[in-house]
Amino acid sequence: MAQAREIDPRPWYLLSPALLAIALLVVVPMSFILVYSFYENIDLGLDAPAFQFGNWRELLTDGYYHDAIWKTFRLSAIVTVLAAVLGYVPAYFIANTRFRHKWLLLLLLILPFWVSFIIRTLSWIHIMGNQGAINGLLLWLGVIDEPLPMMFNEFAVIVGFIHVFLPYMILNVYVSLEGIDRNLEPAARTLGCTPWQAFLEVTLPLSLPGLAAGCLLVFVLTAGSYVTPLILGGPDDFLFGNLIYDAVLSELNWPMGATLSFALLVLLGVVVVVYSRFMRLNQLSKAFG
Amino acid sequence: MKIDSTKRYEVLRERLGNGDVDRRTFFRLLGFAGMAAGVSGGVMTGLSRRALAAGTELHFEGWGGVVSEALRKHAFDPYEKKTGNTVIDATFGGEAEVLTKVRAAGSTDGHNILHSSGVSWYKRWVDAGYGTELNLANIPNVDNVMDSIMAPFRAITPDSLSAVPYDYGTTGIAYNTEHVSREQAEKLGADLLLAKELKGKIGGWGGDWANRAWYGALQSGQDPNDIEDWDAVWDKVREHRSLVLKYWSSGAELMDLLAKGEIWVTEAWSGRVAALQAQGHPIGYLDPKNGLAWMESMFVLKGSPMAEAEELLNFMLDPQTAIAVAEGQKYPPSLDPQKVAMTPVIEKLPAYDPTGKLAGLVFRDPDKWNPVEKQQRKAWNRIKKGA
Amino acid sequence: MRAWGWIRAYAVAVYVFMFAPVAVVLLLAFNSSQFSGFPIEGFSLRWFRRLFENEAIMRAFETSFSLGLLTAACATTLGILASLALVRYRFRGKDWITALLISPVLVPETVLAVGLLIFLRWLSMPRSFLLLLLGHTMIALPFVVLVVQARLVGIRRDYEEAARSLGASPLETFWQITLPLLMPAVFAGALFAFTISFDNITATIFWRPAGTETVPTQIFGMLRNSVSPEINALGFVMIVVTVGVPLAAGALARYFARRRQ
Repeated sequence: MAQAREIDPRPWYLLSPALLAIALLVVVPMSFILVYSFYENIDLGLDAPAFQFGNWRELLTDGYYHDAIWKTFRLSAIVTVLAAVLGYVPAYFIANTRFRHKWLLLLLLILPFWVSFIIRTLSWIHIMGNQGAINGLLLWLGVIDEPLPMMFNEFAVIVGFIHVFLPYMILNVYVSLEGIDRNLEPAARTLGCTPWQAFLEVTLPLSLPGLAAGCLLVFVLTAGSYVTPLILGGPDDFLFGNLIYDAVLSELNWPMGATLSFALLVLLGVVVVVYSRFMRLNQLSKAFG
Repeated sequence: MKIDSTKRYEVLRERLGNGDVDRRTFFRLLGFAGMAAGVSGGVMTGLSRRALAAGTELHFEGWGGVVSEALRKHAFDPYEKKTGNTVIDATFGGEAEVLTKVRAAGSTDGHNILHSSGVSWYKRWVDAGYGTELNLANIPNVDNVMDSIMAPFRAITPDSLSAVPYDYGTTGIAYNTEHVSREQAEKLGADLLLAKELKGKIGGWGGDWANRAWYGALQSGQDPNDIEDWDAVWDKVREHRSLVLKYWSSGAELMDLLAKGEIWVTEAWSGRVAALQAQGHPIGYLDPKNGLAWMESMFVLKGSPMAEAEELLNFMLDPQTAIAVAEGQKYPPSLDPQKVAMTPVIEKLPAYDPTGKLAGLVFRDPDKWNPVEKQQRKAWNRIKKGA
Repeated sequence: MRAWGWIRAYAVAVYVFMFAPVAVVLLLAFNSSQFSGFPIEGFSLRWFRRLFENEAIMRAFETSFSLGLLTAACATTLGILASLALVRYRFRGKDWITALLISPVLVPETVLAVGLLIFLRWLSMPRSFLLLLLGHTMIALPFVVLVVQARLVGIRRDYEEAARSLGASPLETFWQITLPLLMPAVFAGALFAFTISFDNITATIFWRPAGTETVPTQIFGMLRNSVSPEINALGFVMIVVTVGVPLAAGALARYFARRRQ
């Protein structure tokens, strides 16, 4: 495998179909969008071809957009961390259970997706609303006298996001845990590790690639959403995606929408590149461990 | 933590063995699942009657749900039977979406007739060069349409029409009668949306800047069709925002919030409230003085086969069709009650005007509203987010 | 083991959380009241009857189902090939290639959709089912790549090298060793791809050819009026079909396997 250092055409053969698809369906369309970001919006739905930096200047100088970016990154980080904490244990359970039909457990995770996203999201009102299941139970038990306000705030948005994105986390961690040699943990135990130590020293590091992939996915997906805050959030809950939605579909201002989209693409792209650099280091240390 | 090579080889063989079995089972499972899917798919194909494309195709886009069901049953099917043409009906999320598609594609291919909302959109479509000139002689049923509802459209295109008005409604105030009395609602009018004691129980439509501004104008004591002080309007909107639990963005959401008692007061679409009342929910409806009325039209886009489109519009304006659609969507039809007998259901709909004059309703004046739209819409989108 | 008991309880709690909204939907499918809400007023099957009489939604179901299957096949194939290259070979610019492959999730779908439409205009190509398929494949691709990659990293090359040293060709090695070991990831990736295609609405609205409706776009139309209980009934049918069909298939497979022995 040492000769693989020279330019090896094989990976490029393997990559070419996917890269071709991405190039045609994402890169080319996004370059059209980039061109659009220099256009000028004259009136609703009316743009003039131009080469001017007005839209970019507005993005860079207007605090309104900066606040939204900060809000987006903050919320995405919260959702990612919570999803990792909530998702790791079930993934570990699925990977290690003696239950024979693991695929059924996996399928069950995906099932909620089969009910339309909008319906699923709206149904949180049945659960956390004033007349919802939780408040109904607590009132009945006499724990509270007044329904707890749980809907239409940041908490509800976070719950909604976690519900939608948790399966991505669990499945990613699971596939990685499933690949770990079953003999390793017992081996560590015979060397005198406690179960907890064995987990920390062996299983956790080996499952990091999956955890990392899951975190990246959840972060990026949250940062690009707009529907969940629209349905579950109050007036103060919005993400950068909502600004893009407003610009494109409400203000019919394509040039500004294009500018905002391209900015989001670049921001998240940087996150991905930095992140995958960082994770590469992790994998190296794992390979020598 | 090294495993010696013998052990590793054993693990490998074991893995291989397991993997092989797994794969075989997996493929067999896949095969059976495929068979099952194939059978059920075949059955379903057999069940669903497929329209054979013959004659001209007309693309209709509307709001879906009961409206398209009624149109399909009472207008499209008889039309297809009589003419041999095909109507392909689809659902849109709003006209902005259609405009986006048409602009991106650079042509109106695949878009013929739209269930267009409001005179403002009529003006926007015409101004953007997507209008047509209907030959009303081919649409005899248009004679039954109220003159009062035709007038605003004629004002925009005096020489011809690119659409026929189809229904109308109001955006008034809905209130939960268990928490807000009728007297209180009528006394406060538009200011009911600013009642401090209802903080956290108030909603609002987040999707339309002009609706928001209309109520801001009412609350700041201005004529909504002649706003002079926009700052005062937006100040009232900010005051409203501080009390709002939720800005809703669809009819489904509006009904859900009201029905579950999450909000007690909100502005609301008359037809949606009528639907809630028909369900037995304790929701009252109030059109405040100078409340907002609007009309919807069937807009024919440039590049459509005109004769066929006109014939279809005539079918849709047939009293039987129009009344069935109106009963379904709970918005009164554009037909003149003085010329066409209405059903008791229609007569009880909110916003319904038995005189056919629509004198009590105030519509948005597009000449006043469209020029400021770009700037004020942006203002609203920011205020909505707390800016 | 005490710890395992905790892990199981934790996992069950997470499953309960995942299913809470679905359970609500399923329960309300049997609610006789038009307005879905608690408490349930009475038991009724009428929404199921309405659902099966609703031709448009059955047709939409058919479209969504075949679109989902095709998307899963395409995205999984492309995703496995790309992941193999990323994990098994060294080359320059790998980070950037990874970012590029993930890029479809980085762009809001509305924008991606509009950009692609502008491109199509430039090519003067009309919207078609193929466009929908390509678009969905692209949206699903990042998920498959991430899942498969995470799994591939965990598969030790020793296995593949051992097979090679025993005389297997690279292709044989892939079919005999790598793919079977990869199967959980392939399965997960295909499931993701199918699901993402099946649940996609934003991009679908822009890409679908005239007259084509998928289940989400059809539901979207029904939502304008209210959350119709027919939609809950549809959710119920979907879940029964998706759990029931594989379960039945599994039972059949086991039955035949037993008979053969």
